[in-house]
Amino acid sequence: MSTTFLLIVHGLLAVGLLGAVTHQAVSVWLPMHEPANSFVGRIRGVSAASYVNAIIILYVSTAILGGVFIYPEYRLSVRIVLEQMRLRVPVGIFDLKEHFVTVGLGILPAYWYFWRQPLADDHFRTRALLTATLAFIVWWSFLVGHILNNMRGFGL
Amino acid sequence: MILPRSFPVFAITFACAFAVLYFAAAAYNLALFTYDAATSEFFFLVRRTGLDLPMYWYGWIVTSAIGASVAGVIASFIPDQWAQRLWSGWSWAIPMVVILAFCYLLRGYFIR
Repeated sequence: MSTTFLLIVHGLLAVGLLGAVTHQAVSVWLPMHEPANSFVGRIRGVSAASYVNAIIILYVSTAILGGVFIYPEYRLSVRIVLEQMRLRVPVGIFDLKEHFVTVGLGILPAYWYFWRQPLADDHFRTRALLTATLAFIVWWSFLVGHILNNMRGFGL
Repeated sequence: MILPRSFPVFAITFACAFAVLYFAAAAYNLALFTYDAATSEFFFLVRRTGLDLPMYWYGWIVTSAIGASVAGVIASFIPDQWAQRLWSGWSWAIPMVVILAFCYLLRGYFIR
């Protein structure tokens, strides 16, 4: 299967994950308890717990697709060229991406547990910070993947 | 779904141990196996010579996953009174510290 096709599917899964985790993070950190008519108000008012399973499934499937099926091609065809061109920053931010995503995989069991229904009041802060951690990892990975995918356009 | 009472202890321990072990595996190259991306071959433990393009990342993940699973299972046997005092925030605090540690470990890419 061509790497371009896999990259597109990887990107689509990442978009879904980015949307889900952002909705959850916004609704946890900036909750809105009354019905809202504005766009932002509706994002803040979503049910955060309803995103948990989608986030876990999208996170794992995006990581497997990227890590198992695309990453070897990056190491073979992209990273070597970046190193030959002495583009250290793109190589570094991508290395950080792979490590952050892996650390994120390890917190998924705890994330799933603390978001189980019924939600325990005394774990509110843990839920919020687990979501924030995942949101940071997903945003970093999405932006780095986008930058690496468009290296020539960014002129880095 | 009914979970064992020890599951939260397992999950918190796993999150912490996985992050710390993964950092150690990456920093000291403790891969359980090596993958040669050029030839699609696997080799047991770390192999540095005779390979076209060795990749250790998969080996680091498996090393830390096995270690964290063992740590989680062992931790799930601690008495209930200790388990109730375990701070759930370790599950995000330790991984965040490890994320910062990776930034420090890879600072050479960004500092000339």
